[in-house]
Amino acid sequence: MAYTEEELKKELETKEYEYGFYTDIESDTFPKGLNEEVIIALSKKKEEPDWMTQWRLEAYRGWKEMIEPEWANIHYKKPDFQDISYYSAPNKKPKYNSLDEVDPELLNTFKRLGISIDEQKKLAGVAVDIVMDSVSVATTFKKTLAEKGIIFCSISEAIQEHPELVKKYIGTVVPPKDNFYAALNSAVFSDGSFCYIPKGVKCPMELSTYFRINQAGTGQFERTLVIADEGSYVSYLEGCTAPSRDENQLHAAVVELIALDDAEIKYSTVQNWFPGDKEGKGGVYNFVTKRGLCERNAKISWTQVETGSAITWKYPSCILKGDNSIGEFYSIAVTNNFQQADTGTKMIHLGKNTRSTIISKGISAGKSQNSYRGLVQVNSRAENARNFSQCDSLLMGNECGAHTFPYIEAKNKTAQIEHEATTSKIGEDQIFYCNQRGIDTEKAIALIVNGFSKEVLNKLPMEFAVEAQKLLEISLEGSVG
Amino acid sequence: MLKIKNLHAGVEGKKILKGVNLEVNPGEIHAIMGPNGSGKSTLASVIAGKEDFEISKGSVVFEGEDLEEVAPEERAHKGIFLSFQYPVEIPGVTVTNFMKTAINESRKARGLEDMPANEMLKRIREKSELLDIDRKFLSRSLNEGFSGGEKKRNEIFQMAMLEPKLAILDETDSGLDIDALRIVANGVNKLRNKDNAVIVITHYQRLLEYIIPDFVHVIHDGKIVKSGTKELALELEEKGYDWIKKEPVA
Amino acid sequence: MDLKEKLVSSFMAFENNVDVDHPVHDIRTEAIKNFEAKGFPTKKEEAWKYTSLNSVLKTDFSIFPKEENALEYHQVKKYFLHEIDTYKIVFIDGIYSSYLSETTHDGVDICLMSSALTKPMYKPVIDVYFNKAASNDESLTTLNTAFSREGAYIYIPKNKAPKKPVEIIHFATGNEASLMLQPRNLIIAEENAELQVIERHQSLTGNPVLTNSVTEIFAAKNAIVDYYKVQNDSEQATLIDNTYIAQKDKSVVNVHTFSFGGKLTRNNLNFYQHGEHIESTLKGVTILGEKQHVDHHTLVHHQQPNCESHQDYKGIYGEKSTGVFNGKIIVDKIAQKTNAFQQNNNVLISDQATVNTKPQLEIFADDVKCSHGCTIGQLDEDALFYLQSRGIPRKEATGLLMYAFANNVLESVRLPELKKRINKLIATKLGVRLGFDL
Repeated sequence: MAYTEEELKKELETKEYEYGFYTDIESDTFPKGLNEEVIIALSKKKEEPDWMTQWRLEAYRGWKEMIEPEWANIHYKKPDFQDISYYSAPNKKPKYNSLDEVDPELLNTFKRLGISIDEQKKLAGVAVDIVMDSVSVATTFKKTLAEKGIIFCSISEAIQEHPELVKKYIGTVVPPKDNFYAALNSAVFSDGSFCYIPKGVKCPMELSTYFRINQAGTGQFERTLVIADEGSYVSYLEGCTAPSRDENQLHAAVVELIALDDAEIKYSTVQNWFPGDKEGKGGVYNFVTKRGLCERNAKISWTQVETGSAITWKYPSCILKGDNSIGEFYSIAVTNNFQQADTGTKMIHLGKNTRSTIISKGISAGKSQNSYRGLVQVNSRAENARNFSQCDSLLMGNECGAHTFPYIEAKNKTAQIEHEATTSKIGEDQIFYCNQRGIDTEKAIALIVNGFSKEVLNKLPMEFAVEAQKLLEISLEGSVG
Repeated sequence: MLKIKNLHAGVEGKKILKGVNLEVNPGEIHAIMGPNGSGKSTLASVIAGKEDFEISKGSVVFEGEDLEEVAPEERAHKGIFLSFQYPVEIPGVTVTNFMKTAINESRKARGLEDMPANEMLKRIREKSELLDIDRKFLSRSLNEGFSGGEKKRNEIFQMAMLEPKLAILDETDSGLDIDALRIVANGVNKLRNKDNAVIVITHYQRLLEYIIPDFVHVIHDGKIVKSGTKELALELEEKGYDWIKKEPVA
Repeated sequence: MDLKEKLVSSFMAFENNVDVDHPVHDIRTEAIKNFEAKGFPTKKEEAWKYTSLNSVLKTDFSIFPKEENALEYHQVKKYFLHEIDTYKIVFIDGIYSSYLSETTHDGVDICLMSSALTKPMYKPVIDVYFNKAASNDESLTTLNTAFSREGAYIYIPKNKAPKKPVEIIHFATGNEASLMLQPRNLIIAEENAELQVIERHQSLTGNPVLTNSVTEIFAAKNAIVDYYKVQNDSEQATLIDNTYIAQKDKSVVNVHTFSFGGKLTRNNLNFYQHGEHIESTLKGVTILGEKQHVDHHTLVHHQQPNCESHQDYKGIYGEKSTGVFNGKIIVDKIAQKTNAFQQNNNVLISDQATVNTKPQLEIFADDVKCSHGCTIGQLDEDALFYLQSRGIPRKEATGLLMYAFANNVLESVRLPELKKRINKLIATKLGVRLGFDL
């Protein structure tokens, strides 16, 4: 007899979160709560200059006046922002010169996650900037990059070492009061990555950051700033996994990308934070603001594979300000069990001859809800703007939902916009066809899902694509429809 | 190799097969002919293990093993291949990737390692040449946007790749023009040897001019009503199916 | 006093003229409470993101016409589909004109809402159907419900079909400086019944008119209803059309909306499928110029398995006009084997025109086929060139292509005379001189 749906369901339910373990490292953690004193203390602890402290306070004051948005198609218990600790750092030495100095327990954690730093360093040629909770603990390959004039470091370090760059660009794409979560992040961001590629430089390797959440009750507020100067190129990888926890954890990151004239930024994300257990208990709340600004002839390409988090609220966007600039968004969002995802993009066409492409693949299983929400806006001065959008949903089982909310606004008669959306399921005839060729049901589903997601997977850098495929399989195991 | 005894099967309570007996030995080609709705395709699906069909009586034994409790993929691993009448589309999965997965899954079932890439490539090259298949075709999504002829040729290509012991060709000739028919038939003939067997299911005699059967069976109302040699097919073509329908059951 | 206050405070005056003991009046009182709590919608509401009523609501509309006005047939003949014989339910400034109308009780009831709401013989039907499909939540619908008194009442019993199509026409004479109208229509097609309706709102002067109309349509098992909305009003007219359609097993309802005129038009077209094997069709052609604004909001709620819906809206936007399309398809968990299609194509022909479109899918069942597509673009340059090379000047070629773009929506119009009429309206609106007969 073939594998039945019931058996598959059972197996899925018993499948624990693959990366669900927790490292015990003593932490230097702030007491819970948020007010101006906490922000000043945080800024002081990080030895920030006064302008940064003031910038945070300004954002905090803005945030206090704002209300948490409710328009997204997600339902959750709102976090108590006074019940969160806004600073936590691994307690050992603040910085390491080599990996040998890193807490062996931490290294072990990374190994179990499959992120063996030393191996990756050698084999993949990836420079890894690891954020363990909030403080950057290891930065590799810095030297190689420095020779090209590339700056790749933690944002805290950048505030110390390159204040002129940070001051010039931070908050220019995502203003401190842009939205509720961005304002909160601006006030309390703990750490994150900073990257600057000088004029005309092609970054020789994929830059990569692994974020983790590893401390009970600590929210994470990363801040990433990537600046590609004129004619430069960088491919940036961001990957996330988090240990299993009972309590909901809040994550509110801000990512700003600036692509100056003729520059190109490729930003890829694989997100696999703890999605909660099969009852929908626990899991990460992921409220992220990601936005890029394109100057003349510049290109920004977002690729994301979202399989984790209990709640995902995320719209990586492009402001196509310069003439001939290009924005791309390729996304796979998988939801299972009780996960909820409301994700998509905004393409704002301001310059002439600007082009954008949106390919979104949503896969819903279990009792999850998966929404695409997007905006394509063509301004009155954006002559000859082009957009193509495609949103496909795959439903597995009859207890989940797939939703599409595309907003399309055109104010220029030369605009050409095409939007398509489809909904489908995995057909029994497809499964039988695969079975007949000797492929079992579980593998057949993986194969079909892979085919469905192919256009997006193809956009990922090689080593990431493999990891992403694995993640898709793990996330959907057993959820046959 | 294959022994079907007094097989009764149906779908959703509707009886379709009402006592089919059939024995196929290595090296043989059997043709099963019959009018529409006689149960030809059902027989193929039951042998391949499609779950929609329920066996109420009788048995299907393959190499001494009763297949009733055997999953479709395990049947495939044992060497049963069905060329589908309506091949299914799988968007985004290329023919090559599909074949790699299928071959390696079968190997895994037999406790073998994945097929080395160079060997895989060699086999793909050989078999695609055998069936006159353009290599570009192999990187297209499985059956998506394929013409009727391309789909059928792709089925035979898969058969060639998987090297089954028993191949069932379900109306492989339908929708093929004469050139495509010749290529497909040619492929089947080249793949034929003393150890494997083929069951050709068809409505018309046309395909049997190219794939010469050792035995011809005529199925009507869920039973094999007449068996004979290839001459029977010609006789059937001449007299039409009404001849069978009128004849008392032998 | 703003319009909301004026409306709420005039409810008492309205009550003096209706039967307050009728059960419908309980519905009205509940509705006015809802409207009072909610008020007119604003752009802050998602459903009104792209359409503002602010400028319309500044006008000091009279809520009840001061006097009865009459019209001669020859004055308004052109607004009727006079090439064929039809039943007619005609209102002048909101008041029934028996002179221009032709109603019937011959096997079917094609008459007035005011009679249906007062005469005891209609009460059983009113009890079952009145306000059963319309929203009790949407503020403009509740406003209409509160003041519901007059409109068209059509009841087609089992296995019946009226001999001819029905025209519902609302004329505004302009004798009132500015007038607000709130017609309320109730249309019921019982099992196997068939019906064709053409609805039109027409102002005869440039004086502002605000029409807030609610139509409820019930299609029972196997019933077939074709409903055509011709929106070609004068440049100071505002129309808010709320239509609610409830369908049962195997029924077919087709609604065509032709929007060419008016200052501001908002269509809320809602389909609720309460049975299996239902077909729902929503089609529209919108051609706008000047500062016109048309907003189509459609909803198809698939609540049962094996149903279909088809939507096809085409829009051509010139000068400073704005077009909005917001199409929502909801497929409930039990509505397996649903086929839902939606298409919205738009052409912008001016630098200052705007299109906002939001096709929306909310799917809770897995074995369904749902798709939507929308485009914003220009006419095909190759096609233009082809026509020009055959000697057709660019301007005419453009007109012809736009005409062809919009015209295919008309294929499903089953009244040849109406099709012809709409064809002419499209040609006129686009400034195309057609060298061939339609």
